[in-house]
Amino acid sequence: MKTIHIRKGRDLRIVGAAEKILEEALPVHFAAVQPFDFHGLRPRLLVKEGEPVLVGTPILEHKDNSRIKVVSPVSGRIFSIERGEKRALNAVVIQPDGKQAALQQTKFSSSAFLHLERRQIVEHLLSTGCWAFIRQRPFQRIPDPDSQPKAIFIQAMNTEPLAADVDFILKGRQEEFQHGVDILSRLTEGKVHVCCSVQAKEPALINVKRAAVHTFKGPHPAGNVGTHIHFIDPLQKGEAVWYVDVQSVLAIAKSFREGTFIPERTVAVTGEKAQQRLYRKTWIGASVRDIAGNDSYEGTCLISGSVLSGRAAGEKGFLGFYDSQLTLLPEGGRRELLGWMMPGWNKYSFSRTVLSALKRNKEFSVDSDEHGSHRAIVFNDMYDRYVALDVMTFFLIKAILVGEIDEMEKLGILECAPEDFALASFVCPSKTDVCGIIQQGLDLIEKED
Amino acid sequence: MKFIEDIFRSAGKMFEEGKPLHKLYPLYEALDTFALTPGTRTKKAPFVKDTVDLKRMMVYVVFALMPCLLMGIYNVGYQMLTAKGDEVRLVEAVWLGAWKVIPLMLVVYAAGGFWEVLFAIIRRHEINEGFLVTGMLFTLVLPPSMPLWQAAVSISFGVVIGKEIFGGTGYNVLNPALTARAFAFFAYPAQMSGDSVWVALDGVTKATPLAVVASAERGSAAVGALQAAGYNFQDMFLGFIPGSIGETSALACVMGLAFLLLTGIASWRIVMGCVIGLVGMSFAFSFAQGPQALAFFSLPPHWHLVMGGFAFGAIFMATDPVSASATQAGRWIYGILIGVLVVLIRMINPAYPEGVMLAILFMNIFAPLIDHGVVQAHIASRRKWVALIKADETR
Repeated sequence: MKTIHIRKGRDLRIVGAAEKILEEALPVHFAAVQPFDFHGLRPRLLVKEGEPVLVGTPILEHKDNSRIKVVSPVSGRIFSIERGEKRALNAVVIQPDGKQAALQQTKFSSSAFLHLERRQIVEHLLSTGCWAFIRQRPFQRIPDPDSQPKAIFIQAMNTEPLAADVDFILKGRQEEFQHGVDILSRLTEGKVHVCCSVQAKEPALINVKRAAVHTFKGPHPAGNVGTHIHFIDPLQKGEAVWYVDVQSVLAIAKSFREGTFIPERTVAVTGEKAQQRLYRKTWIGASVRDIAGNDSYEGTCLISGSVLSGRAAGEKGFLGFYDSQLTLLPEGGRRELLGWMMPGWNKYSFSRTVLSALKRNKEFSVDSDEHGSHRAIVFNDMYDRYVALDVMTFFLIKAILVGEIDEMEKLGILECAPEDFALASFVCPSKTDVCGIIQQGLDLIEKED
Repeated sequence: MKFIEDIFRSAGKMFEEGKPLHKLYPLYEALDTFALTPGTRTKKAPFVKDTVDLKRMMVYVVFALMPCLLMGIYNVGYQMLTAKGDEVRLVEAVWLGAWKVIPLMLVVYAAGGFWEVLFAIIRRHEINEGFLVTGMLFTLVLPPSMPLWQAAVSISFGVVIGKEIFGGTGYNVLNPALTARAFAFFAYPAQMSGDSVWVALDGVTKATPLAVVASAERGSAAVGALQAAGYNFQDMFLGFIPGSIGETSALACVMGLAFLLLTGIASWRIVMGCVIGLVGMSFAFSFAQGPQALAFFSLPPHWHLVMGGFAFGAIFMATDPVSASATQAGRWIYGILIGVLVVLIRMINPAYPEGVMLAILFMNIFAPLIDHGVVQAHIASRRKWVALIKADETR
């Protein structure tokens, strides 16, 4: 077991971490399937308003590959179908009946897991809807069931700000995790890499069998899948790896034993505005209100995921399919007199241009303010200090903006996802949307493919 | 607080799309965000942003230039008083100096600002705070006797040709302040070079230390020639010598550098590279020195550092992130070559005693080529690294 030191990057020191208390689920009033959780999915709707559904009833299928389906996380009735601009499908909202009756598929005994054929596994994952738990790099999309990855990465650490603690989630679930790893190991000829923090103590991780364990040390983005892939098995053109997060590994294992889709998820409720900061059991796609349990959400920016890579959920939004964290961030937007000149004793910055730089270990209260207006990029050497991957961010940005696909690939864009550049976006004084530009580059390559 | 916000909000309505003043929106945006932070909210990840914005960064560079400006003002007055043979009193020197420097600065800001705003309106981009720095830099590299109209024409050239035709701040190849100075240098040589422009009094000629050494006899010792002309190391370090307004005091420049490094704004690699290049090259020349060599060959490196515009150029001009190399390795090369070129132009070129401006502009042009080389090397090393990991894997 080799420890990989990540030297570039930085941890965001912000207030609002969840206490390590696991609470039972609150009653879920609404849940939803949201197509944009799945990158590159072209959804075809399979249900109508008012229709009854079970846990595991297919709700959407991928237009390009109808074997890939997204299923309902709850049993109940389709409440509404929400569309946005150009009639794009935003969400299929389901009103749960609380019974969680599930669509039954084949069950397997855990002793059989190691002897299953690859074909059986793929079929089971596809029929239960668990296939969507697996994602692929490049492009972060759900992989083609007929393709083979050169390796599978299990993301067993999370360095995002206030992220859910993987050790805490895995506590007492060693057997289940091992089963998941066993199942996944049948999907690739290559290795299964379990990437965990150097501080991880959970036996489920340290003593995992039939997988290579790697430990990572250092600040965010040490926990990002992109970082893991980059340092363990870098991607080249034509190659693909798959990756799965820990909770999805657990769900996959359980779905083989129970023969159903497993919507259970433990979510860390975090952020300064959260009234109860703790871990809560809930279902994938549950409405954020039913997870956060605040009395009021005034002045709150609700994010499914972390402040660096999550998605704005809004007060009426839902938990993302892959998310294990909810962040309740204070809403910004207060205009300050001569803000650019103020000494900034309480303002958070990575730079040394504000006095708060003197407070070495303090956690800062931050909000969703942009803290400045958009300008052309001037300080072009800041990005690379906060991007763990060995890419030349500024030159990658340039290549993307002029549409030089060849140059982008040579610079290593295929390993990247927008989330790997979140800190570069954070730090840019010109407020450049680095993540957005990276996504633009990936979209361009995906389209050309 | 609240009422200022209200004023801007109601004024802002006139600049909205479709309203008569919409064309002037960049001007409104600049003033509005100058007075109050924009207060926009993030809509997508990352939801939190660093407190620092470009305004702060740019204004900090202006702060860093303050020692040079103050020292420059004082020194302009000081040179005038000593040339007249008067006793130098602080208040009087500052007063005289301010009368020379402040009008020049205002004219530069007004003329350059005009073009900046005009282009922002026509090209529909925002007004970039970088001009605050450009205007200050340009003022500080002018001789104190510069006619105001010439300063105005030069900064217009610098802003328009040096920057705006490329698309504005962030897209320029050359440092706009230096482009403006180069224009002035070649368009108005009588007001930009020679011995009569460095003291802002009519009819007073005083050679700068670099000119003294350049015109010293072959085979003579440079330090001796300087001392004969009344210059010593200490005066040059502190800045009590004739020269462009802000460049004379190495001490003031170093104070600015300290501030820039403390706040992490300037690249220390570039400054370090410049110093290494200059010291290395002047050492090399002193070894090559023959009996009939130019007096410059005998000038010790540490004198080079405090003479002319080197300190100012290396600290404030070469470090402009837009026109400098954008790669870390490239910055070393870029800096070192600036230092080398400064010495080459100072010593070997008979036409110009000073070479900092041309050296930096020259390297501005080469910076993209250096970066290209570094990026290609990076791509090659990436390939090697992937192969290495693969080999490790199979073992």
